[in-house]
Amino acid sequence: MTMIDEGRLRDALHEAADSFEISEEAIDRVRAQAHASKNESWLSHAPVLARLPGRGRVLLAAAALVLIVGAISLPLLRSEGGPSQSASAAHRSSLGPVVSGTGLKTATSLKGLPTTLTVTGGETAPSGTSSTSAAASLAPKIQSTGSVHLMVGKGKVTSAIAKLGDLAIRDEGFVLSTRATEGTRVSRSFSNAAVVLQVPQRFFASLVAQVQRVGRATSIVTSSNDVTGQYVDFEAQLKALDASREQYLTIMTRATTIGGILAVQNQLDTIESQIEQLQGQINVLDNATTYGALTVSLAEAGQQSHVVKPRSGLAKAWHGAIAGFVHGFEWLIRISGPALFAVLCLGVLLALGRLAWRATRRRI
Amino acid sequence: MIDLEAWLQECYPQSVRTAYLILGNRLDAEDAVQEAFLRAWKFRDSLVKESSIRPWLYRVVVNTCMSKLRQEIPHRDRRSSDETLASLAASDEFVGRIGLSHDVMSALNDLAAHLRIVVVLRYYADLSEREIAIAIDRKPGTVKSRLNEARRRLAEHPALRSERPRDSTSSEEISA
Repeated sequence: MTMIDEGRLRDALHEAADSFEISEEAIDRVRAQAHASKNESWLSHAPVLARLPGRGRVLLAAAALVLIVGAISLPLLRSEGGPSQSASAAHRSSLGPVVSGTGLKTATSLKGLPTTLTVTGGETAPSGTSSTSAAASLAPKIQSTGSVHLMVGKGKVTSAIAKLGDLAIRDEGFVLSTRATEGTRVSRSFSNAAVVLQVPQRFFASLVAQVQRVGRATSIVTSSNDVTGQYVDFEAQLKALDASREQYLTIMTRATTIGGILAVQNQLDTIESQIEQLQGQINVLDNATTYGALTVSLAEAGQQSHVVKPRSGLAKAWHGAIAGFVHGFEWLIRISGPALFAVLCLGVLLALGRLAWRATRRRI
Repeated sequence: MIDLEAWLQECYPQSVRTAYLILGNRLDAEDAVQEAFLRAWKFRDSLVKESSIRPWLYRVVVNTCMSKLRQEIPHRDRRSSDETLASLAASDEFVGRIGLSHDVMSALNDLAAHLRIVVVLRYYADLSEREIAIAIDRKPGTVKSRLNEARRRLAEHPALRSERPRDSTSSEEISA
């Protein structure tokens, strides 16, 4: 096994690292901050917890274990008290929805056109579980999303986009994104567009209603999701981690050895990163529940709708036949490779056999 | 009691350079060492109880560097080492030596962090295996095996494989 030349390695590292000057400003900064914290040497006056590094480590490890078990078990115990998120949602659905259409999947028609209307979830009455009782103390956190397909008159896509923007602004919301595609080269107008609107949750239902007046709605899909339980769980975990962090900070004041301090510091780093992650998840939930998002697809009348019409039996059979033909053709192409290989192998074997036979005959 | 001025003059530059070799980025290295020094200064009374301050100080520096590596700041890449070496390459004096430094840095950056740290502490900071063990909070045996592994990987690195020892008499090549 070859090893690198240590002398060369040492030289190369010195050349690379000593190639730049250390700025005096950085040293000054450390000096200034160190002087500022000169009176913070509280550690030397703190009571001694662990004079021996080994003992200190064992104590710290035990304390860390207890805190981590506590931090993990607290949210688990809370969640065991009540049903899981989906279970509680199902239970709440059975109690009866507050918002009309909760948990329903219905097909209806709008202005005589075959359309689909799907409404799921929704704000519901709280169940009697411990998880939801905690959730009940909070304002319900509802995530609302939806999509509406609208048909508008020829050349009216642009004005419809503007109207949708006005609707969102009137409801204290905003246009998150707009995507429009040009129709014919002659007209130079947009023939299709997709606009995403975001409005505060309380205006979401009214926005859905108002959007339908902009054009002829051919499909409406809205869904609401109650994330209150999830939010409460996150908050509980955050509280538990905060408590752990406080405990570690207390332990830190009692640690007197560098080993102990570093061990606590590592634990603190881990807990702080978990706290940041949880805080991020809570922020995401907050954002998602503050605004409801509605995607409005616009199409000029006469254009093909985005709604896929169910195929009739004959059309289905025809498509099946075409698909079968294509699959058969693909299969033929796929096996042609191995078949060619097999034919080549057979040819080689035959040639070898023939040569052997001739040789045998000559000997005879 | 530790004299701050002496401490800064004696240990700060080498700590920054060590951190630079570990992190591969000068700005991150300066950040890490400032943080490490302030932390060490805060707990200076405990520090003086230890028999030797140096490995403990390196332990704080290594821990801070590890935190930086875990964060892996996306907007900073590791090219600054190349930039430093490229700027040096402009002067003729260094042209002969710069190739080796560049190759070693490239090979070092490709090493896993735990291997890179022991290499830097051993061959740049000149810590003994026992001191490295304190600095990385591992047993001396672990340090020894990591050093072996790191040296083997460096030797097998494409950037260094083609290199030939320039002076065979000073060579400390080890074969396992």
